[in-house]
Amino acid sequence: MTLLHDYPPPGPPVPTAPTAYRPAPPTQPPHSPAPKGTPMNANPSPNRHALSVLVENNPGVLARVSVLFARRNFNIDHLVVGPTEDSKVSRMTIVVNVSSEQLHKVTSQLDKLVEVIHIEELADADAIRTQLWAINDNGPRPVGAMAAAAF
Amino acid sequence: MTATHSEPIVDGATPTAPGTTGGTSAPGTRRTGAEALVATLERVGVEHIFGLPGGAVLPLYDALYGAEGIRHILVRHEQGAGHAAEGYAMATGRVGVCMATSGPGATNLVTPLANAYMDSTPMVAITGNVASSAIGSDAFQEADIRSISMPVTKHSFLVTRPEEIAATVASAFHLARSGRPGPVLVDVTKDALTAIADESLLQLPMPGYRAPAQPAPEEVRDAVELMLGASRPVLYVGGGTVHAGASEELRTLAELTGIPVVTTLMARGAFPDSHPQHMGMPGMHGSVSGVATLQKSDLIISLGARFDDRVTGAKSTFAPGATIIHADIDPAEIGKNFPTAVGLVGDARATIAELSSEWIRRTSAGAAPDYDAWVARCQEWKRRYPLGYEAPPSGALAPQYVIERLGRLVGPDAVYASGVGQHQMWASQYVGYERPRHWINSGGLGTMGYAVPAAMGAKVALPDTTVWAIDGDGCFQMTNQELATCAVEGIPIKVAVINNAALGMVKQWQALFYSERFSASQLPSKQVPDFVGLAQALGCVGLRCDTPEDVDRTIEAAMEVDDQPVVVDFRVCKDAMVWPMVPAGTSNDDIQHARDLTPDFGEDE
Repeated sequence: MTLLHDYPPPGPPVPTAPTAYRPAPPTQPPHSPAPKGTPMNANPSPNRHALSVLVENNPGVLARVSVLFARRNFNIDHLVVGPTEDSKVSRMTIVVNVSSEQLHKVTSQLDKLVEVIHIEELADADAIRTQLWAINDNGPRPVGAMAAAAF
Repeated sequence: MTATHSEPIVDGATPTAPGTTGGTSAPGTRRTGAEALVATLERVGVEHIFGLPGGAVLPLYDALYGAEGIRHILVRHEQGAGHAAEGYAMATGRVGVCMATSGPGATNLVTPLANAYMDSTPMVAITGNVASSAIGSDAFQEADIRSISMPVTKHSFLVTRPEEIAATVASAFHLARSGRPGPVLVDVTKDALTAIADESLLQLPMPGYRAPAQPAPEEVRDAVELMLGASRPVLYVGGGTVHAGASEELRTLAELTGIPVVTTLMARGAFPDSHPQHMGMPGMHGSVSGVATLQKSDLIISLGARFDDRVTGAKSTFAPGATIIHADIDPAEIGKNFPTAVGLVGDARATIAELSSEWIRRTSAGAAPDYDAWVARCQEWKRRYPLGYEAPPSGALAPQYVIERLGRLVGPDAVYASGVGQHQMWASQYVGYERPRHWINSGGLGTMGYAVPAAMGAKVALPDTTVWAIDGDGCFQMTNQELATCAVEGIPIKVAVINNAALGMVKQWQALFYSERFSASQLPSKQVPDFVGLAQALGCVGLRCDTPEDVDRTIEAAMEVDDQPVVVDFRVCKDAMVWPMVPAGTSNDDIQHARDLTPDFGEDE
């Protein structure tokens, strides 16, 4: 998937929290060898599916989609939300670990959401998952309370 | 699944272009968001609103004050408003409307919203919220009702801009009544209600909302092919046929094919109980013939039903020999619980009509299915295991007798609303329903306290029809405050309280499965409260009946009261149980038609 413009868009620098509120720096080196989250070397799973979902770019739409997964008792492996060339539409990439039969159930429920415009299953779920995992792993380190909890 | 572009809204909910009535105000006048909202309600044909005002929704109530053609009924609790809107919708098929303020007013609507979602009731809830500038600040009476209601509504809106109010409300009505009906919530901030609504009217695009498809002709052909090849078919009829107004078409199909019919709790009345092909209700407390017909069939033709666990019993043993044809307007229902051979996505009325015409085409071309042996077997079950109950100890009043007499004396033209529990099951078994929309109950969610407000809503919609609420003493104590509404607003419903001084269904389960350890299930309802005194305090007529000899006379006395709500306290035998019963989690094969008595279904073919 190629993004049609830079993301995030250039903007003012993100303000940092005042020094007084910053917790002590992590005691471990920032690049800990132990991977976080789902281990990357997990075997390719036949039950891994990646969905590309176009949704209306409305406040609350992420909550609505994730509430639906929770309501129908499905767990989301990975979730990425980004803009599309149409400012009214966002794209969600969702990786779930379910059988094909269950996937059909969750997509038919998802399709009923008024704000969901289009659902497509992406071909290579494992590759997408690896990419998403890499983004997660190499992205900015958590700061503040999250960092304190993570280390 | 493909993206489609927004389709025009065609059922009167279309926000009209600027310059025409409804879409904009007359030239020279400017109106507030609240006025735009009320004008939209008038335009989509709302006549009744059940609601209770509060701070955040005051501008809307101010606009309602001058509205002509809309009657607002002030309830005593927002839950009552929600259930009344449901009763209104269930009795008529029109969209029920309820209204509440922010925070607690809105959260009190959550139960009715969830109830309407489970039973696919068309309903629009309108709530006020704090000003958009205060959202997120934990302001007084602030609640994020849009998010709270997400899992229990078809859709929920938060409107913060006045110019979007009219389009959003119109879209909410379109969503509520189209496709699979359901509840829709519109939350409007106070500043949007008070600000001047610019005339830049938008139609909400809703590109992801699609009108339901019609079943494909080849699927109809496949379905009829299966029907012709089956030897033990059954028409499994659910609430969708009621919502679709498909009773006539259903009767035609049933009589054309001769296939036995079972009607679920939500579909009681969709097919006449008196019809010889009617085998009764399937499910946990269904009739033996209803359960057996479904269980022993080799083809289930499901019409607007959803294979609920209360119908199927243990899934692994449900109808082991059956192939399934599933017709539903909601594609997500098809194959949700059981694998389906043929799925027919579409409106029940159109689908059933297409099945009939395909059937006629095939039979006139020579196809001649033979169901005689199967029909005879079903009729034998119906004859051998009729619904019945043991006579209680001498002098005591059997609850089933009360409900049976009520059904007989009041007749099938009245509307019956019920709460949830033993009385609900007896009401579904013993009243006798001949027409759809005359039986209103909380099926999916099982909401105790549904009866009184739902009956109130039904009576508002059908002022010339007798409306009886059949309620339990437990349920009645949850929502009887709405009798004050009925008394003040002139809504003369009748309430039969089946008072067994217990949370009867809980007590029945404790008796059967928990060694008669009646933990927290007994109520002193024969002493406290005094239901007759309570009824009178709420502005109603209160009657009491203790003995079988008094039942007819008491019902007739209640029927004579026309100008006031009536409450009859039927003090019934406390140990009566609902039979037949398929104990939860067991197979439909293990149905007991009375305690520890399992019917003999005869040899399987």
